[in-house]
Amino acid sequence: MPEQEKNFNVRDKIDMSRIKRRERTDKIFKTIFLIAGILSALMIILIFIFVGGKGIKPFLPGYEFGQQNLGKFLTGMTWRSDQNPPVYGAAFIVVNTLISAFLASVVSFPISVLTALFIVKIAPKKLRGFFTTVVELLAAIPSVVYGVFAAGKITKMVNSMAQHFGLTTHGGLSQLTVSILLAIMIFPTITSMAINAIAAVDKNLELGSLALGASKTQTNFKVVLSAAKSGIFAGLILGLGRAFGEATAVSMVAGNSMTGPTWNLFDITRTLTSTMLSGLKETSGLDYDIRFSVGIVLMIIVLITNFSIQLIKRSIGGVSHE
Amino acid sequence: MSKHEAFQERISKNRGMTAKRRSIDGVRNFFTYLSAALAVFVLGSIFVFVFQRGAKTLSWDLITEDFHTVKYMVNFTEQEAGDFAVPDDLKEGEYFSTKYGFGVMEGTDAAKDTVILLTRKAEDSPLHSGVNAVAGDTKDKPQDVPTHVNVVKIAYKNQEGETKSAGQVRHHTPQEFVETLDQESTGIVSMNYQSLGGGIRGSIRATLMLIGLTLLISLPIGIFAAIYLHEIAPKNGFTNFIRTSIEMLNGVPSIVFGLMGMAIFFPITAAFGATTPNILLGAITMAVVLLPVTIRQTEEALITVPDKLRMGSLSLGATQTQTIFKVVLPNALPGILTSILLSVSRIIGESAALIYTMGTFVVDNPHITGRATTLAVQIWSVMSGEQPNFELATAISILVLIIVLVLNVSIKLITRQLNKKWKE
Amino acid sequence: MEQTKQEIKSQGRVPLAADGVMFDIRDLNLYYGDFHALKDISMEILSQKVTAFIGPSGCGKSTLLRCLNRMNDLVENCRIEGNIKLGKKDIYDDKAIDVVHLRTEVGMVFQNPNPFPMSIYDNVVYGLRCQGIKDKALLDHVVETSLKQAALWDEVKDDLAKNGTKLSGGQQQRLCIARAIALQPSVILMDEPTSALDPIATGKIEELMESLKENYTIIIVTHSMNQAARISDNTAFFYLGELIEYNETGKVFSNPDNPRTEAYITGRFG
Repeated sequence: MPEQEKNFNVRDKIDMSRIKRRERTDKIFKTIFLIAGILSALMIILIFIFVGGKGIKPFLPGYEFGQQNLGKFLTGMTWRSDQNPPVYGAAFIVVNTLISAFLASVVSFPISVLTALFIVKIAPKKLRGFFTTVVELLAAIPSVVYGVFAAGKITKMVNSMAQHFGLTTHGGLSQLTVSILLAIMIFPTITSMAINAIAAVDKNLELGSLALGASKTQTNFKVVLSAAKSGIFAGLILGLGRAFGEATAVSMVAGNSMTGPTWNLFDITRTLTSTMLSGLKETSGLDYDIRFSVGIVLMIIVLITNFSIQLIKRSIGGVSHE
Repeated sequence: MSKHEAFQERISKNRGMTAKRRSIDGVRNFFTYLSAALAVFVLGSIFVFVFQRGAKTLSWDLITEDFHTVKYMVNFTEQEAGDFAVPDDLKEGEYFSTKYGFGVMEGTDAAKDTVILLTRKAEDSPLHSGVNAVAGDTKDKPQDVPTHVNVVKIAYKNQEGETKSAGQVRHHTPQEFVETLDQESTGIVSMNYQSLGGGIRGSIRATLMLIGLTLLISLPIGIFAAIYLHEIAPKNGFTNFIRTSIEMLNGVPSIVFGLMGMAIFFPITAAFGATTPNILLGAITMAVVLLPVTIRQTEEALITVPDKLRMGSLSLGATQTQTIFKVVLPNALPGILTSILLSVSRIIGESAALIYTMGTFVVDNPHITGRATTLAVQIWSVMSGEQPNFELATAISILVLIIVLVLNVSIKLITRQLNKKWKE
Repeated sequence: MEQTKQEIKSQGRVPLAADGVMFDIRDLNLYYGDFHALKDISMEILSQKVTAFIGPSGCGKSTLLRCLNRMNDLVENCRIEGNIKLGKKDIYDDKAIDVVHLRTEVGMVFQNPNPFPMSIYDNVVYGLRCQGIKDKALLDHVVETSLKQAALWDEVKDDLAKNGTKLSGGQQQRLCIARAIALQPSVILMDEPTSALDPIATGKIEELMESLKENYTIIIVTHSMNQAARISDNTAFFYLGELIEYNETGKVFSNPDNPRTEAYITGRFG
């Protein structure tokens, strides 16, 4: 076709039926995007329904492997899946889970906050990047690697500590080992939240404090920390949540006691997560389904923890812009 | 006391206060140094421990080898004893058979049992003349005995012409084994040997399969959901509800995701023919674990795309979908890449959710609908046996640590690059 | 070049309602939530003319401009009453008109140059490709004629693969104009197209408008009195969401009817 005869009018090529088709495609894709959004939101609800449903089943009449007593499950102080019939009492497990997470945060919290303060306010600029990287690397280490470290190093440390007091341990597997491990594992969580909170404190507050004759250090400890406390405590709660839910590493050093609660730091313990992982072989039966019941208990504890973030934020206040 | 004296006293008191304050400040600062140093110390200890314990075990063989031992049996076509010179570079504890020209020493296999390890073969050793003795298609096909295997048994002829056995079956030490052969035998008949096992080839393959499958599921859903939230959703209660629900996923412990996988998605994988926990189930579960991360990272990438580009596209008669695919997404690509790297790093590090959904049994030839372990789960698996295998666990940990750290550093670099780009 | 003009003259596609009226705006009211942004606007915008919207910031001139290609649809809480006709069709009647089609008919150039981060060539044919036009010869032709009309061709013809964002600010804005006219629209809306540019680039764009008005109906929002006076045929003055005065440019600038108009153009407020 000779060049001059070609129709170069763009408007002739724009036709309405095509536009209609494209708008249909547009609608279809928007629907797909919407479905993806709803699907993502649905997951948390599905988790509650399905995990909850499966976990409640053993306590309902007509349960195929023999109905369990919910009261005994919630108040029992013995967990013997090896007996016949097995005994499942989770109360002491809850207590031990709380103890180890609490101990971990008692150790980890001050160290985390001081480290965060050091990184944001005290360290020279060049070191700041280095220490931030250290915290980030600690956060990136997979929990199973922490587990190997705990099983290889912390157990030995705890064991020799026990011998020092004239006590013995089960090869270092103990409540204390779990707590130290958890303290290390929640350190990066609390620290990074504290770093954000401290960095968000209004500079004018500090200037105000300095202008009143307070030293840099006094300002850091009195004004900055108290202004950032809402964010810092939110970090603590987040850390606690992680401590409750941490599974693989903890199950490597807990020792899985059969009765409790364990008050002796050098004695073996059992957490909700270590219970869920121990001796996992079959994928059906009472011993399998009861893990879902433990899962519900864990979910409830984590949920309460998460909701308390909101409460703490409201009641503590503080001036950080988080 | 005169006014002047009182004033003097106050000043001197004040000086004392300043000194006291300085020392308190010093102590406080010291504690912050100490805390930060402690963090470095812990990180250092973990690295030192893992690398010290695992470095010796980490080798190319570990990466290419199967976890489970495989048994072989060969018959020899050349059976006569020869006369071989003892090599000069024989290591301590290594014994050389002068009749058959091979060397052995003590070693351990995957189960940490002591074995007789075949270390070397002379060039014209009869060991080169093996033919497969196991029934099947390859029976009687030539099969050279490789080194670095466990010598279970060598059947030999003694002076009386009887067939006898030497090797692990008779609880020989390497020295006894070589001496027995060299002193009593006139020729060798057959040999049973085993691969050492303890490798991680299967877990590496399963990890790669899991990464691929997970991204295949999580990326489209996560990216599309982010597009919905950022580009399309109206600002109303429903959108807020969706946002909150997705954020709540962040707080769910990963072991609960494992339960979720078995409770919700197992039937889906069963439709594909799965009867046990399997890789597909692990992938679906991990996709849910990663949803909040993918959505948040993608949304952050979408935020960085300037609105004027969207306006420009729409004003040219593009539909919103065209605008999203032609203008918005290509510009959000680096951010999406970050979310992929983050996802890969999370998948490699995850263990609790996968123990439930993929099982803990190490498989050498993983299949999508069958049990398998990722590297992280294999660490758990070898640690939770009767005899925790620290050597193997730390060796795999080195690999996992290196991969995860490289990914994290890349993410940092990309993010920094991006921030620079948008500041311009 | 001759052929190009020919083509564009043959574009009288939009069947005009009355003689020479491109947009007929009647009793238009626009609300952002509770805020009443445009109040009872009625005006006729003439075909093949340059119409300037002037007024102080926040007077509603840009808002009105965005009503004409329905870009306000994207703003949440935006409510529109009254009607706007493009030719004979009500552009807010979804049965009569298609919004995507409307935007191919009514092009837009924004305050800040917004070329896509892709090649110059891809920028120009973006709108066409969105319409599913794949004919290579046609695309090549359109790139050349559009860039020529936008007075950019000579500067970029050797490197059409260059990324559009690597051009200078003035070049970027001309690329955006080329991109808009590639679709051969009837109307080009310009929202302060030179406010982000230096004087030299501004001069070039103004020259360009001069040549474009032969073929297109141009509506320009501007902050510059001089610019409005120089390039427009008709001028509309807006104040606090109301249309205060709308007349031939010469009349508005030399002898305005309304004292507020006079106050504004003589620089007493704004």
